[in-house]
Amino acid sequence: MNPILVMALKDLRLLFRDKLGAFFIIGFPILMGLFFGLVMGSPTSSVSQGKMKIAVVDLDQSETSSKWVSFMAKHESIELEELDFDTARESVRKGGRVAMLVLKKGFGETAGVFWREPPTIQVGVDPSRAMEAAMLQGMVMEGIGQLAGQRMMDSSSMNDMIARSRADLVADETISAGNRLLLNTFFASLEKMQNSIGALQADSDESSAGSLGAGGFEFANIESIDVSRKIDPKSQAAQLPRLKSRWDISFPQAMMWGVLGCVAGFAVSIARERTQGTMTRLQIAPITRSQVLLGKALACFLSVVLVVVFMVGLGVFLGMRPGNYLTLAFAALCVAICFTGIMMIMANLGKTEESVNGAGWAINMVMAMVGGAMIPVMFMPQFMQGLSYLSPIKWGILAIEGAVWRDFDFAEMMLPCGILLATGVIGVVVGTTILTKE
Amino acid sequence: MSIPAVTITALSKSFGDLRAVDDLSFSVQNGETFGLLGPNGAGKTTTISLLIGLLRPDHGSVVLGKTESRDPGNPAFATVRQSVGVAPQALSIYEALTAKENLEFFGQLYGLSGAKLKERVAWCLDFAQLAERAKTRAGTFSGGMKRRLNMAVALIHEPSILLLDEPTVGVDPQSRNHIFESIQTLREQGMTILYTTHYMEEAQRLCERVAIMDHGKLLAMDTVENLLSQFGGDSIITADLQSIPSGVEIPGARSGNRIRFVAPRPLEEVAKLSSKGVAFQTLNVIQPDLESVFLKLTGRNLRDG
Repeated sequence: MNPILVMALKDLRLLFRDKLGAFFIIGFPILMGLFFGLVMGSPTSSVSQGKMKIAVVDLDQSETSSKWVSFMAKHESIELEELDFDTARESVRKGGRVAMLVLKKGFGETAGVFWREPPTIQVGVDPSRAMEAAMLQGMVMEGIGQLAGQRMMDSSSMNDMIARSRADLVADETISAGNRLLLNTFFASLEKMQNSIGALQADSDESSAGSLGAGGFEFANIESIDVSRKIDPKSQAAQLPRLKSRWDISFPQAMMWGVLGCVAGFAVSIARERTQGTMTRLQIAPITRSQVLLGKALACFLSVVLVVVFMVGLGVFLGMRPGNYLTLAFAALCVAICFTGIMMIMANLGKTEESVNGAGWAINMVMAMVGGAMIPVMFMPQFMQGLSYLSPIKWGILAIEGAVWRDFDFAEMMLPCGILLATGVIGVVVGTTILTKE
Repeated sequence: MSIPAVTITALSKSFGDLRAVDDLSFSVQNGETFGLLGPNGAGKTTTISLLIGLLRPDHGSVVLGKTESRDPGNPAFATVRQSVGVAPQALSIYEALTAKENLEFFGQLYGLSGAKLKERVAWCLDFAQLAERAKTRAGTFSGGMKRRLNMAVALIHEPSILLLDEPTVGVDPQSRNHIFESIQTLREQGMTILYTTHYMEEAQRLCERVAIMDHGKLLAMDTVENLLSQFGGDSIITADLQSIPSGVEIPGARSGNRIRFVAPRPLEEVAKLSSKGVAFQTLNVIQPDLESVFLKLTGRNLRDG
């Protein structure tokens, strides 16, 4: 058997003989995945402290729709940008924005007019950000409420609308005489009320638009748009009986914990070979130092692949729905190469198990924290989201999510996978060179 | 004359200001059991490390086995390392693996596989008297069992040269005896053994020739008998006498019936006194050993360090 493979199999055996090590590689990620999966699925769960990046598509282009957009843009929890439909959808699908809001044609006709059919607002939310969907829906309603309030306070606009509605009433022959009488009486009262408000406004500049919420009144119909992908109804994913997207998010995150466990375990194993004296035997055996180190690298690579395969298997069992298994395999491969390289660098951080272990976990924790393995990136403050680009964890999660639910095509996978591969190759070359020189 | 199994010529190695090995030269013949005797810090382990290529010498050379044009005995070559088995002073086994797994792993690194590997693993387990504990993790073994496994691992690939660096450190008497018997068996089988120790009785019992080292230097090298006769000094005889015929001169110091004297050939002296009618009640002869050789050479005891 090839010495590299012999080394790798021995190291895998040692890794899984260490019960605590095995727990951090398999048990801990499962707990993380289940915990965050359950938390993310709960509508009452906590939401982001930072601003949500939202795309808005204004197909109505009316004065009312512009007003609503400006209401939304003023919200302190939202960073709003107007985009066209396709760009907005692509942006959410790739994780650039939390959600997209689409104001359909005719929005301005009915928005905030409580006696008419409420406008339909299409909302497409990043499935990984389900926690923020409820909050966003509340903000949408608040915006419509503000619009309704402003419309009520604007006498001329309101009178125009009443006049148009009266004209509609006259033209509509299907309305019964009784109803017609009732509606005419209503419009007359409304007109009278508007005139009173106009008189009051003349006396006072005070506005109470925000207080005109409507108990029991439906401000808008929320219609969901699928921003992930169309699932082939014949595919295995579509047929999975317990399809739950919550695992799509928590499991890629959890996988990274397993990966970090592998990295920490194998980085320490090189120092352990030194302290327990077995490195001496390896050095005097008729194999090269590079073979010894590549054996370690192979063991780390295989363990990462095993972790990803195991977690995907468990995720699928629970209801995860990987979009493309081939892309997922490619992502797993890139993640494994990347973190093998990081392990080789970490192995150089100290001479003793304690020093490598301490320094390794410190770096792992920072990478995990910044990269979104602890708290998803979207819940982080803006500056932290920017920092996350420096963490390989972020790219690992993005690559796996790209395969699981983001439906990345090959070109889209190239960015995260390219970064992962480059990091891995540099790590293996630099780490092996330093260790061999020792 | 046959080519020596190990040849060290003018070997030197320093660590900073410390001269760990200083102009060391010796050779070990094929099938010979050769001892490197010296206190802790004498440079024995550094010499072993230089021999197996773990350290590069500052000066001098090491040649293991037959000299060939392609790999002239340099331990940096895999083919040379293939012929050497090493049991380092520090235990070098995986405690999380069983005895059998340890042997299998190192056997595979030396290119063994299939039936041959199986056969060698079984031989080594038997040799180390660990066959019954083959599937037990090494971490649960006693110090002696670990030492035996450490030595067995060195033999897994049937090396022609065996380097044993202080193989009995921290070992119980039972395991120590087992190790001695094992070394004697290997010696009878014709294996070349280089044995380092700071226990003079081990060197005296096991080695045909002994090199005495101190502060990295070779102080003396010869067979045990020659070293003793050259540097050991006289034997010390103490005796309680029953009767002393008048006119017989008693050597050494006398206190009542007790006498104490030194002599190069103690038995001849005792026989001479006996023939003159001296009757011995008790007799105690302390012969010189390698400890006294070391004392003579350095002015210090071996175990002073």
